[in-house]
Amino acid sequence: MTMHPHHPLSGEGIALHKPFPLTIRPLADKARFSLRIDPDQRIAASAVLGLNLPGNIGDVAYAGEKTAVCLGPDEWYVTVPVADQAEIEAGFAALYAQQPHSLVDVSHREVSIGIEGRDAALVLQSAIAFDVDAMAPGSGCRTIFDGKAQIILLRDAKDRFQIDVWHSFSEHVWHFLQVVAREIELDI
Amino acid sequence: MTNHRIAGKGRVDHGRPVHFTFNGTRYEGFQGDTLASALLANGVHLVGRSFKYHRPRGILAAGSEEPNALVGVTHGPGRFEPNTRATVLEISQGLSTNSQNHWPSLKRDIGAVNDAAYMLFSAGFYYKTFMWPKSFWNKVYEPFIRGAAGLGVSPTQPDPDTYASRHVHCDVLVVGAGPAGIAAALSAGRSGAKVILLDEQAEFGGSLLSETDASIDGRSGWDWLTMAMTELAALDNVTLLPRTTAIGYYHQNFVGLCQRLTDHLADVPQGTPRERMWKVRAAQVVLAQGAIERPLVFHGNDRPGVMLAGAARTYLNRYGVKVGQSALVVTTHDSAWLAAFDLAKAEGKVVAIVDLRPNISSHLRAKADSLGIEVLAGWTVTGTSGRLRIKSARVRPADPTAGGARTIACDVLMMSGGWTPSVHLFSHTKGKLNWHEEEQAFLPGEHAEASRTVGAGNGSFGLAKALAEGAEAGADAASDAGYNGRSAQYMVTDETELTGIRVRELPTDQNPGKAKAFVDFQNDVTAKDIRLAVREGFKSIEHVKRYTTNGMATDQGKTSNINGLAIAADAVGAPVPAVGLTTFRPPYTPTTFGAFAGYNRGRLFEVTRKTPIDGWAEAKGAAFEPVSLWRRAWYFPQAGEDMHAAVARECAAVRASVGIFDASTLGKIEIVGPDAAEFMNRMYTNPWTKLAPGRCRYGLLLGEDGFIRDDGVIGRMAPDRFHVTTTTGGAARVLNMMEDYLQTEWPDLKVWLTSTTEQWAVIALQGPNARRLLEPLVEGIDLSDDAFPHMAVAEGHICGVPTRLFRVSFTGERGYEVNVPARYGRAIWEKLFADGQAYGITPYGTETMHVLRAEKGYIIVGQDTDGTLTPDDAALGWAIGKAKPDFVGKRSLTRPDMLKKDRKQLVGLLTDDPMMVLEEGAQIVFDPNQPIPMKMVGHVTSAYWSASLNRSIAFGVVEGGHSRMGETIYIPMPDRTLSAKITGMVFVDPENSRLNA
Repeated sequence: MTMHPHHPLSGEGIALHKPFPLTIRPLADKARFSLRIDPDQRIAASAVLGLNLPGNIGDVAYAGEKTAVCLGPDEWYVTVPVADQAEIEAGFAALYAQQPHSLVDVSHREVSIGIEGRDAALVLQSAIAFDVDAMAPGSGCRTIFDGKAQIILLRDAKDRFQIDVWHSFSEHVWHFLQVVAREIELDI
Repeated sequence: MTNHRIAGKGRVDHGRPVHFTFNGTRYEGFQGDTLASALLANGVHLVGRSFKYHRPRGILAAGSEEPNALVGVTHGPGRFEPNTRATVLEISQGLSTNSQNHWPSLKRDIGAVNDAAYMLFSAGFYYKTFMWPKSFWNKVYEPFIRGAAGLGVSPTQPDPDTYASRHVHCDVLVVGAGPAGIAAALSAGRSGAKVILLDEQAEFGGSLLSETDASIDGRSGWDWLTMAMTELAALDNVTLLPRTTAIGYYHQNFVGLCQRLTDHLADVPQGTPRERMWKVRAAQVVLAQGAIERPLVFHGNDRPGVMLAGAARTYLNRYGVKVGQSALVVTTHDSAWLAAFDLAKAEGKVVAIVDLRPNISSHLRAKADSLGIEVLAGWTVTGTSGRLRIKSARVRPADPTAGGARTIACDVLMMSGGWTPSVHLFSHTKGKLNWHEEEQAFLPGEHAEASRTVGAGNGSFGLAKALAEGAEAGADAASDAGYNGRSAQYMVTDETELTGIRVRELPTDQNPGKAKAFVDFQNDVTAKDIRLAVREGFKSIEHVKRYTTNGMATDQGKTSNINGLAIAADAVGAPVPAVGLTTFRPPYTPTTFGAFAGYNRGRLFEVTRKTPIDGWAEAKGAAFEPVSLWRRAWYFPQAGEDMHAAVARECAAVRASVGIFDASTLGKIEIVGPDAAEFMNRMYTNPWTKLAPGRCRYGLLLGEDGFIRDDGVIGRMAPDRFHVTTTTGGAARVLNMMEDYLQTEWPDLKVWLTSTTEQWAVIALQGPNARRLLEPLVEGIDLSDDAFPHMAVAEGHICGVPTRLFRVSFTGERGYEVNVPARYGRAIWEKLFADGQAYGITPYGTETMHVLRAEKGYIIVGQDTDGTLTPDDAALGWAIGKAKPDFVGKRSLTRPDMLKKDRKQLVGLLTDDPMMVLEEGAQIVFDPNQPIPMKMVGHVTSAYWSASLNRSIAFGVVEGGHSRMGETIYIPMPDRTLSAKITGMVFVDPENSRLNA
């Protein structure tokens, strides 16, 4: 018997076909980890991940399909292809005895939403108080969306953002993005 | 109806007529008109009745300072708005407007008897008159006053519009797009700084739109304006926001802007928000709000047709409207002369200029002579006549010994008492205002924020000064924001230097005690009221304001403040600054509730958290209840069932066979690290060191004060890994509390906390057939009672999906909680439900869960506890690890107060009438015959109908309850007094035999 996963936003999507197109869509699931480890052990952890964990809060590292954003002095949010999950978990389990840490699977906690287009930052500015456009591409943070939902926000490129949000909040975030996208569609 | 429009004149689009109605009459205006300009073009001055005296009122101003012309507007079904200023409301096709505060009609208003009885309605009238008898206030006086006085009627239908908001960050925010603001925006914009320029009007330009004499750099004002706005529009770093009001200026250059997006449009695309609130954080702010013209205070100064001279000039030059056929000008300031000249040049008739000042500059006199306008210098106006429109004014020399009075016929009186710098936003920042005797004005002193004030708002009147100051400030602001700001030079020619004097009431030879000389038009406050207030002992302007209502409410004293202050100062006999200035408060102009609410309405009002299984419950017709932000299935009614029947059926099914329950909302925290057990020992009351991996324990969490905060079953997955569960509502605060202790008290512990609430979907299977249902689907876990007893936990697979399987019970029955990764929750649930059909599996909701746990004596933190119960109070003393050196709350538990015998303690309650279910929250007394007020000794915390026992059960807290077993207590209710016996809390299966049944 095969159990099929059920994505909270499956079937949803927003695409504005304008001179400056805007797309907002749920992204395919990946394996997601919350990694807590002494920053002195960053190199060892990077070796297991196959990705250089960034040392500055707010920096994002990319290696192929893997990304890691530094959210706190000893905290990283890591996403990897599902196929790599078991190997990474085994690698960290082997590391534990020498370098204790916490690697927690939060793959199913989060829903990822991609926002792409010239007006992507403007869309987010309705929900986020800080200056979104001042974020450097390749940076990220944990922040509050619409004053109601905690999210992790990544700016992967000038015109491309990713929101990761707990699944029970994802519907609210999605409805909010729908309303704001309509403002972009109407050019107001 | 006379048409007062001058063909081709003004900035309205004469080729685009717009039709609208006012009080049911259809009128024509043009694209670009406000309601006020369009009504004036049709000869309509009478637009409302005043607040208190119901006096006929006309249009006074041409901007947002308008105190009289407040109308009700209907933009379509459900889109009624009262108290809209006709002077800022742009007309659109089909707009429907109405005047307010009259009955039966605007022209014949019964309420006008108040005017005849004006002697009664003086300052403090309400305070003095309606004091006695006291009991009359609520039922008689207040409803009467509220009915008789007031403004428009509140809308009765829900607002169908949506509202938007947006955060924005900029280098330089320029408030006000008159010449000073535009010059500032140009300097700042050219430097590359990110600039926002806003104006409350539909069109940028401010005074440039109304005054057309001077030229800038050899161009007419309008040509220069077009050029400047074209340049600004072309700059990518400049955002232009018309129809936008800066409503409030808060700390650290946070400024709220309200932008009107659709009110001016006849056709609005679906989904367009009506307004947007911009939440601006600016590095630098330039305030260029200009000045507001002061009315003159004289008897009859509120008659329709009496208006501000500058407003008349705006209607003429900007809208092409002559406000009357025969104008009398009354002034103490040169600017009204220019208004008179413009009107005369447009072939309007100006019968005379009455100026209180005996000495007028020769060039103004010469100009008046050349235009054939009579000049009465050193004269005053002492009254007006006319019922619904001014017909004449009585004028005479200000010197009582010089000559007699004349009556001059006119249909409009244009007045000017000079100009008041608009300092509202500066005042919001707590910036100190200084009194400038020469300008007779309060002007911004030292700025409390990174801001600058320029132009008329800074007391720098005149176009040349405004442009120079604006250009300089824009450049400086840009430089301070890190850009290379450079000022610009503007050559202004043909500008007339203007001067004036400020007066209180105009001098009169009439009895001032009978004068209706209005200071605050919106609140119907006269000069006499202010003097009376001072006579009665109110010396501070803050007290005078509240006693007389001068400058209160939506108007915030825009036209009345300085006149009121000057009169009060005169009455007190002190200089103006000694009497003080009242505080301006946000919002600057009335702002819709919708704009403040923004997106927070309908489904975006609040997050509704849903579990992965929520959709299944919805499809099955579950009733839902909110639990913190979650919505949870409450019960699953079948056809014809009410809640009582559904819950009884669900309870019976769990005890007889198997029930399935969505427990996904339970908070979950993964606690990992070598010091995990030590951390648990310190946080929870229970001992954790000896709990073996693969086993669970009930955990009790206290606050520092020793009172119960949270509880939950905690599984030890490995020596250094715990799977903690919390209450649904407590998940976030428990994690925060743990992080707080970890980061501030025990940073040395090697342990890390991660919220996994939403990683797992949790399916509870409860009932004697639970194991039979589960066993065939589970791989890797031996479910036999020996291998997997009550309070065990193990990892394995279910239907191929990884699971953390708990053997726990919140019902007293054999129970399992299946944790699976959230995306698989729905599929596993559906599989269990399908296979469970063989056992008559029954989905149940939170209500049944509550009943089943109460039958077993399990408490719910937050329902049976209220933040004042210790573990002993809740009969949970067994959960305390007595040998532990410390845990959060331990020391508090031995305080003398916590050991008292008569503390309120949680007990079971069985009503003497078994059919009677108590009311949760009902108060408990020992003696029902004691006099009222009775001594309350506790209350009911939980009460249900127990289908298992065929009777009611309840919990309550009762003083000293644990030593009162078997005693009877009483619950007084409105219609009768109920009685119940104190019992233990376990009503069903005290031997726990069913856990393994």
